[in-house]
Amino acid sequence: MIDGILTLSFLVLVVAMLLGFYRLARGPTVVDRVLAFDGVVLCAVSMTVLLSRLWETPLYLELILIVSSLGFFGTVALVFYLDRTMPDDGHDAGVETEQEREEKS
Amino acid sequence: MTTPMLLVSAFLTLLGAIVVLMAMIGMVRFPDVFCRAHALGKGMTFGLFLLLAGLWIDLGREAVGLKIVAAIFFQFLTLPVASHLLARLAYRKRMFRVGVTEVEPPAVEKKTPGH
Repeated sequence: MIDGILTLSFLVLVVAMLLGFYRLARGPTVVDRVLAFDGVVLCAVSMTVLLSRLWETPLYLELILIVSSLGFFGTVALVFYLDRTMPDDGHDAGVETEQEREEKS
Repeated sequence: MTTPMLLVSAFLTLLGAIVVLMAMIGMVRFPDVFCRAHALGKGMTFGLFLLLAGLWIDLGREAVGLKIVAAIFFQFLTLPVASHLLARLAYRKRMFRVGVTEVEPPAVEKKTPGH
């Protein structure tokens, strides 16, 4: 029964990761993609937790810490890079700005 | 390891996986960068907390010590910060959804000092 519950949790996490990949491929703006990548990394961390639970070993705790901190620092680096390089009005970001909407109508 | 603790641990693990799934469903279904940052920041933090708590109960205090408390503390420290940074970036770059969010003049300065 415990193994069944762990398998079910693993399937639930696989579905969550596929949803994250959908948003990563689809997402209209760059910020959406960065958010989706953060979500995918955290789903991988959750799967590592489940593997550590399944194999009854505390060896993966360092892996959990390292992978989640890598995702966090990657997100922070991308945010600072995008803050410098993106234009200020959300143009070229995939979002319809107010000005473009007025031009269209 | 007694059986009730094992059942509690399995329940926490399943609940954490479901909360993570709910966060990712919010990532797909919500219409806006701000709503998605909200879903990721809260849901992922709570889901990972439940998963790590289940792992802690399962492994026992002798095996893992305070390392798993450090992992939980690290998640609580970093995940809301990351989602807040992304939402703040979207606010600074004025990625508002047209017609829903009131567009105001930016309350933050153009250039933060330091970069």
